[in-house]
Amino acid sequence: MNIVKNFVASFTLKSEFAARRNKLYRIAYSWCHDVSLADDLVQETIYKAIKNAEKLRDRTTIDTWMYRILFNCWQDYLRVKGRNIDFIDTEDDSQAGLEENYQQSQIVKRVRAAIEQLPLPLREVVTLADFAGFSYAQIAEITEVPIGTVMSRLFRARKNLKQHLLDFGSDDISELKLRRIK
Amino acid sequence: MDIKDITEDKLNMFIDEQLDNDEMEFIRNRLLEDKVLREQVCQLKAVRELVGYAYSDVPQSRAASESKRGSRFFLSRAVAATVILMVGVIVGWLSYEFNPLSNSGITADNTFQYIANYANVDHKERRIILHIDSSDIKVVDTALNEANQLLASYRAANTPMKLEVVTNKSAINILRPDISPYIKQIQTLIDDHDVEVYACERSIMKAHKKEGVEIVLLPGVRTDKTARELIPERLERGWVYIRA
Repeated sequence: MNIVKNFVASFTLKSEFAARRNKLYRIAYSWCHDVSLADDLVQETIYKAIKNAEKLRDRTTIDTWMYRILFNCWQDYLRVKGRNIDFIDTEDDSQAGLEENYQQSQIVKRVRAAIEQLPLPLREVVTLADFAGFSYAQIAEITEVPIGTVMSRLFRARKNLKQHLLDFGSDDISELKLRRIK
Repeated sequence: MDIKDITEDKLNMFIDEQLDNDEMEFIRNRLLEDKVLREQVCQLKAVRELVGYAYSDVPQSRAASESKRGSRFFLSRAVAATVILMVGVIVGWLSYEFNPLSNSGITADNTFQYIANYANVDHKERRIILHIDSSDIKVVDTALNEANQLLASYRAANTPMKLEVVTNKSAINILRPDISPYIKQIQTLIDDHDVEVYACERSIMKAHKKEGVEIVLLPGVRTDKTARELIPERLERGWVYIRA
């Protein structure tokens, strides 16, 4: 009976890991801007999560736990490749078609470019907070830095992004809107 | 807490709801009086939203692209439309100011709505588009209350306002006399307040296909456009967008 019970528990947990695949992939992509690398990081994360499933004592912390594994995989990659890697935004063909119809996707590109120029620790924190929606305490746990460091990185990141994205003023946004009308 | 304690760091913590209740309340009250502070908060929120949207649609992973090849185009378009809405909201806030007639507090999570709602009384016509995309009772109740409050506040301030309500997805069901509990409220909006109510043409077609019956809507409801066409069109003309 226990065997069946364990099998069901293990199957449920694996399903929970798999269900988070897409979100993990997006955050990985926001860090590396590379489809293949993001994919590899997520594969590695899920593999490690399944392998170490017994270490997850509290199921309610599964998100933080999995993002922490992802973050560690990313850090391992950076240690091997060096922290000054060149990022390539590998947009596919359908993205180009999208841009013809919606010039506003220029804004997405602009935001991504602004995020890309951030130092890595700032980029990691701002995407965990503003894209993944983690609290300061959760980010501190994922990235293994003090909460004060998380706050300082997040605030510096937003300040930098504000300068790049908003301080160019409404003119730039209007310009994008006008381009869409043509 | 004092006004000089409201640093940019504090404002960041405010938008992330990481301050204690007293500090949150203090900043909320200051925001009601301080336009510069309000703008700072809006900018921080806009940055946060933009980061969120920037990765809502990313190039698909190998695993996902194998199983979801067909749905990508529509997803991409939906996200692009969302970005358009975001831009509209950002542009929208720039042209609005605080309404001294109001003494309601604002919440940390609805600054955009706040900016739209508490427009300055300069007697210029306000044009607001209210988007409902769910038939969830909470969402619809909030949306209809919002619509009535907007109409009441602008009437009280003697400021002309044009309000349009756009429904799509399951929200078109609130316009169906055979199943909607909101018929009276919506009919009043149309008949007594000149509110233009739209049901997304595409959502109607989908519902028709799914249910196999004619989708009958309230008289006066417009069905000649899709939400995807209508919302960006209004934003281009400077309307303020509110999502229920």
